[in-house]
Amino acid sequence: MFAFMNIPLLPEQASEFSKEYDVLFWYITGVSALGAGVVYSLLIYCCFAFAKKDGVAPKRILGSNRLEFLWTIIPLMFFLSFFVWGVRQYDVAINPPPEAYDREYTVVGKQWMWKVQHPTGHREINEITLQEGVAVRITGTSEDVLHDFGIPAFRSKFDVVPGRYTSAWFKPIKVGSYHLFCDQYCGQGHSQMVGKVQVLSQENYAAWLEGIYRVRDGKNPADGSPAWEGRKLFLKLQCLNCHNKESESRAPTLEAIHKSKRALQGGSTVVADDTYLRNSIRNPMKEVRDGWKPIMPAYTRAQVTEEELLNLISYLKSLKPGDLPSRTESSPAPVGAPNVPDSPVSPIPAPTTGGAR
Amino acid sequence: MADILLEPARLDYTPQMLPEPEMSFAAHPEHKHYLNHEYGLLSWLLTVDHKRIGLMYLVSVSIFFMFGGIAAGLVRTNLITPTGAILELDQYNKAFTAHGTIMLFLFLIPVIPGVLGNFLVPMMIGAKDMAFPKLNLASYYVWVAGALFFVWQLMVGGLDTGWTLYPPYSSKYSHTNVLYAGLGIFITGFSSILTALNIIATVHKMRCPGMTWGRLPLFIWAMYATSVIQILATPVLAVTVVMLAVERVAGVGIFDPNLGGDPILFQHMFWFYSHPAVYIMILPGMGVINEVLTCFARKNIFGYKAVAWSSVGIAVVGFLVWGHHMFLAGQGYYLAMVFALLTMLVAVPSAIKVFNWTATLYGGSITFQAPMLFALGFIVLFTIGGVTGLFLGTLGTDIHLHDTYFVIAHFHYTMVGGMMFAWQAGLHFWWPKITGKMYSDFWSRLAAIVMLVGFALTFLPQFAVGYLGMPRRYPNYPPEFQIYNVLSTAAAYVQGIGYLMPIFYLGYSLFAGKAAGNNPFRATGLEWQTSSPPSPHNFESTPEVYFGPYEYAVADGLKIIPLNDGKVRDIVHEDPDLVSENAAKEATHGS
Repeated sequence: MFAFMNIPLLPEQASEFSKEYDVLFWYITGVSALGAGVVYSLLIYCCFAFAKKDGVAPKRILGSNRLEFLWTIIPLMFFLSFFVWGVRQYDVAINPPPEAYDREYTVVGKQWMWKVQHPTGHREINEITLQEGVAVRITGTSEDVLHDFGIPAFRSKFDVVPGRYTSAWFKPIKVGSYHLFCDQYCGQGHSQMVGKVQVLSQENYAAWLEGIYRVRDGKNPADGSPAWEGRKLFLKLQCLNCHNKESESRAPTLEAIHKSKRALQGGSTVVADDTYLRNSIRNPMKEVRDGWKPIMPAYTRAQVTEEELLNLISYLKSLKPGDLPSRTESSPAPVGAPNVPDSPVSPIPAPTTGGAR
Repeated sequence: MADILLEPARLDYTPQMLPEPEMSFAAHPEHKHYLNHEYGLLSWLLTVDHKRIGLMYLVSVSIFFMFGGIAAGLVRTNLITPTGAILELDQYNKAFTAHGTIMLFLFLIPVIPGVLGNFLVPMMIGAKDMAFPKLNLASYYVWVAGALFFVWQLMVGGLDTGWTLYPPYSSKYSHTNVLYAGLGIFITGFSSILTALNIIATVHKMRCPGMTWGRLPLFIWAMYATSVIQILATPVLAVTVVMLAVERVAGVGIFDPNLGGDPILFQHMFWFYSHPAVYIMILPGMGVINEVLTCFARKNIFGYKAVAWSSVGIAVVGFLVWGHHMFLAGQGYYLAMVFALLTMLVAVPSAIKVFNWTATLYGGSITFQAPMLFALGFIVLFTIGGVTGLFLGTLGTDIHLHDTYFVIAHFHYTMVGGMMFAWQAGLHFWWPKITGKMYSDFWSRLAAIVMLVGFALTFLPQFAVGYLGMPRRYPNYPPEFQIYNVLSTAAAYVQGIGYLMPIFYLGYSLFAGKAAGNNPFRATGLEWQTSSPPSPHNFESTPEVYFGPYEYAVADGLKIIPLNDGKVRDIVHEDPDLVSENAAKEATHGS
């Protein structure tokens, strides 16, 4: 019933460790419930059985060494079992498997954002994109105060401390998007220091690495990717002046252009592949879209280098419907700005899967 | 009064719920007691009477409890919506910090030692006053001075560091009044130390004849253990706060790594005090529960020695577990292991106490007035608080639960469900002794039930949302957690109503309550063997004690046969009936 009402009851098990963790958690829960159950049953029994009755005098009982011994030893044994199991689990949590050292991430916490550096060179702010089934190690430090890098779905958490390195590892096992929290109070924006953990399947992760697969709810390409570089160029070259969504726009919006069929002046049709996109920039008069005036200027190598052109195309390929920035944006968003300029973003990222079944 | 315990026939255990003019001194116009033997403001402000000082503490901590409660109300109300219902981010941070600092330093730590400790320690051991009455008054004023710094700090803009004051945020980044709050902590700490010193000296030197260590009420044992912790741990907090101030004011690098310091050092020092401090808060509460349970079950405490020594055990081992607050803070692996093991060990004495309390009820003749309801509530809630602590003391499970609402729920179950309920139990138990007036039976029971239900429902959802991962100190949170927060807040209002109720019926009892009589609950403690309210020097003459503290079975009809020399000795060993009973038992066990 609760699942139907979209209320999370249990946290997602999205990492290998989370499954192990929950076994111990429920073991302690079971023993605790049993212990509390015994105490409560005895309390209730005594309260009813020994409520004051006329003519019944209380007994004079001073204690019993046997019972004392019993209820010292039995809880102690259970507590020690928690301890031993807990140490084993802690051991697992702080000692990464060898393969995790092949994917070493670093994270820097600062008031109030997480900067994640991928081993592949990618950078992300308040987001971390991971591949399903691949163990990674993550090392953190802080630029200012204490923070804590916590991912509930992975049952992973470690304090991020200025002046020293702390680390954790995890092996995501479930595709999805999960919460990333700062768990150590760090000042005014503590509750804003949140983000998203994106676990992608192998092919999506590969696509993401190429800069095609978009994160951040499909608005922007990943920080540092070719598409991200391309977006900066797109804005710098003022492409948006014509390629926009305004009613008076003078050119197609380019959203979802890649691999679409384009009707050309003269009646022919082409598929908008990489070459078509390249031609449309270098030599726009070659193929002019039906219904539009041929006003697109040609961009030569002096204006756009080959490398830049690749990035630009990468960005165009990443554009899906609704992705194009609005025209009022005159300059690219500063590096590290968590919000996309044209979309009002709530302080808390909208949870996509966080626990909803 | 000297031989009041000498002759069992004169032990006054008859119910005195109805006014009995010839017995009830309070109703008697000429009866001079500690409240009416002098009048005027100065007679209160300059008093060295431990009972009056206890009352001054009662008024002061109640005011601060109200402030702390208002801050809690703001926090909970703000959490009704995921983006914060009423407060800005900064305001929220200041509200939860105010709630934490006020409740801890100005309510939980002083409440039972300050009010009940002051009032009862001398009376329970048959003394006229504390060992150092003037020091006692001084410690009150020192505490007030410290508290004024907290008030000042709140009035000039508040504090936003959380009560834990972790640097480098507190030493460098926070723009709020860290120094005033630090001074407040520093000064109230001295008050703690002075009170503790006084209690230790009193227990050692002021016990009346016959009050051996084995006959001390368990409340005294608990207060003694608490005082030892206070004396040993509080100076460390003072040192830590001074270091923090030095770094903040002079820029000397102690905790800030940019200046060559180490933030983990602060955490070690802070928790070296603050972990034992949770036992400073809970041990006196446990002491109260011993007194109340035995009285309303009409029973000896089950396992006097086990309960007494478990207090001492908690006090000693409690000093060695501070690192369990820092499993994820970057401390060493083996260090974490040692702390986790010791944490499991410190859980044992608490478990022993819970089992002993339960066993105490067995074979009793139980009545359920308000103090008993609060005490039973204490056991129910403290049990949950205790077992959920195991999740956090276990290395593996702490990883996920660290700094989530699970922690919040856990320590509220021990601090509020435990200490707050013990405080209410104690307040209701000794109110007739303190004021000479009896409060409404119906309303007080109702308040106990409202508080219990409100409290339990406030914090149960927080265990769930904590396991889901909601971090503490978050004014904004993911929307799927909202339902839990709304439930929690709704119950918090019920709880709030519960806390307001005693103001009315206890207040009413002051003016229109029935005279309580000397011993309305027919309790055996020495404090009940004198008039209500007690005379300025507690006892007409020094009492003598001949047996242990909880001989309710004796009081309720078991015969004590004086020995040939006319004195009643320790009935545990010397009552002929019992001796023969015990001998019979031993014989059966032996075979």
